[in-house]
Amino acid sequence: MPRVLRSTAMRLALVFASLFMVAALLLAGLLWWSTAGYLDRETDAVIAADTRAIGDRLSDFGLAGAVQTMNERIAADADQRAIYLLTDPRLRPLGGNVDAWPLKVGARPGWYEIELVHRDRLHVSRLLHVILPGNYQLLVGRDVQDRVEIRNLFLRGLAWAGLAAVAFALFGAWLIRRAVERRIEGINRTATAIVQGDLARRVPLRNTDDEFDQLVATINRMLDQMQQLIEGVRNVSNAIAHDLRTPLAETRARLEGLLRQPAGAEASLDGIAGAIADIDRLIGVFNALLRLAELDTGLRRAGFARIDLTALVEDAVELYAPAAEARGIALTSAASPGLSITGDRHLLAQAVGNLLDNAVKYTPAGGSIHLTAGPAEDGGIAITVADSGPGIPEAERGKAIQRFYRGDASRHAEGVGLGLSLVDAVARLHGGELRLEANNPGLLAVLALPPSA
Amino acid sequence: MKILLVEDNPQVAQFVRKGLTEAGHAVDHADNGRDGLFLASSETYDVLVLDRMLPGGIDGLGIIEALRRTGNTTPILILSALADVDERIRGLKAGGDDYLTKPFAFGELEARLVALARRGQSASQDTVLKAGDLSLDILSRKASRAGKAIALKPREYKLLEYLMRHAGQVVTRTMLLENVWDYHFDPQTNVIDVHISNLRQKIDAGFERPLLHTVRGAGYRLSEDA
Repeated sequence: MPRVLRSTAMRLALVFASLFMVAALLLAGLLWWSTAGYLDRETDAVIAADTRAIGDRLSDFGLAGAVQTMNERIAADADQRAIYLLTDPRLRPLGGNVDAWPLKVGARPGWYEIELVHRDRLHVSRLLHVILPGNYQLLVGRDVQDRVEIRNLFLRGLAWAGLAAVAFALFGAWLIRRAVERRIEGINRTATAIVQGDLARRVPLRNTDDEFDQLVATINRMLDQMQQLIEGVRNVSNAIAHDLRTPLAETRARLEGLLRQPAGAEASLDGIAGAIADIDRLIGVFNALLRLAELDTGLRRAGFARIDLTALVEDAVELYAPAAEARGIALTSAASPGLSITGDRHLLAQAVGNLLDNAVKYTPAGGSIHLTAGPAEDGGIAITVADSGPGIPEAERGKAIQRFYRGDASRHAEGVGLGLSLVDAVARLHGGELRLEANNPGLLAVLALPPSA
Repeated sequence: MKILLVEDNPQVAQFVRKGLTEAGHAVDHADNGRDGLFLASSETYDVLVLDRMLPGGIDGLGIIEALRRTGNTTPILILSALADVDERIRGLKAGGDDYLTKPFAFGELEARLVALARRGQSASQDTVLKAGDLSLDILSRKASRAGKAIALKPREYKLLEYLMRHAGQVVTRTMLLENVWDYHFDPQTNVIDVHISNLRQKIDAGFERPLLHTVRGAGYRLSEDA
């Protein structure tokens, strides 16, 4: 296929041009049929009526009657377009206004359209040849030179119009192609820039809200999400590099210290136990990261089932209640009965567990934690955990959900800063979200699950 | 106990084998699936430890399925680097009895193996569980020690029942989380320890001999002797 035709826009334009031309031809044909065609049909009808009339005369009044009728009609023909010729069986003229039988009209009766000398003019004429009783040959016709000229004019006009239509169609095709290419060019340029590393580039919008703008808006949204993900990956890589280096360095130092101690010393056993604990913490981080990665792929949705959320929440509270009590924190809960949801029981249990874990970790002795679970305003289910701890400053709440984020308050607490990320990932897997709000004092974590889930 | 270990990683195999041998168990080792299946079906073991991914044309799941098809019901613990919950479910569905993700603590492995082997030995039909002077009536769900009734919350009852069914054995925190709470994640806070110490308050406080012991670096053990 030629290169020009490979362009989708060009092909589209050509299809439209063809359709346009077919429509134009149909219109012209219809016009012809109803104007020039109509006149032709009228002429034919008049000629046929004439031949019938003369034929009738011949049978009623004989040759003289027929010739008289012809002469009357010739005399009455003001336009001088009527053509009559009656001959004997040997084609010798008996009457009419043509001198001799035209050579172009054969022996067989029927319609002819020929050039004929009539009244000293060579004109196109429409003729009907009939054979009357007695083998008399009758030729009746009309001079249609004018009509032929009109017809030729019409056809010539049509040809020019067709040519103009093709030209317009091609021009239109080119315009469409250029318009499409221009719009696509923007997308193309942006994509190329992004491939070359400029992740912040976006396809310009024209604010026309046409199909292209809608496509561009979708592409831009996709790019936003991609950029966010890529930056997320970048941040996580950095965080892994930094946050895991520290415990690794500690473990390394510990083990190196052990190497220099005399074998079998009690201190070396403690050191080894410490090193194992360090490594277990690292393994914990990797497990959390793997689970986050697993959640991000969304594959876990395959294991969704109907679960009793009320029981799940109550179990979680029951699991954490003694730990809270041991720290002098009052853990209370209020869960609406009969809450049910389609989801992953283990993940939701872990999410609620993480929220309680955080609350227990950051709430000082004498504080309180209150968990609620119940219908939300949007028809979904909201699980909230409110604590009386230090809370998270408003500016940092968005970041708190990011992986490896650790606020000032938690800088020295145990943990690696993946707990809330995991809760958020679980919420998103279920089509919901994690919101952090102020509890004045403290933090209010809202795990919002959508109505459909 | 006689244990078959099918594990292709030489370090892990040596570590497990040495640990189990030192704990007094007899350990056979195969480093590929084919040899593992041959040993498992020709010898009698108390418990099998199978790696998920193995060379030798047949992997851990394949061995389990082959054994179960021939009616071999030896308890099987699957060792795997695949931590997904789905993988775990696949392993258990294939006929495995327990699933442990690498890396693991040796104490965790041993405790689980002992629990598995005991389960294979005695499916206890007793309606009253006993450990020293502590007894638990499964039908009436009542506990008492030395004739003195102990009031238990529902979860404490489940916790004590699990500990008593595994009396004399070490149970780890994860085993308790999995079997008493049905949770398959690791809480960062020491939630289980607090539950245990509450239970200990109820069953040991006021008695001369404690029954619920903490095993350092591993978990807990309910038994008469310290």
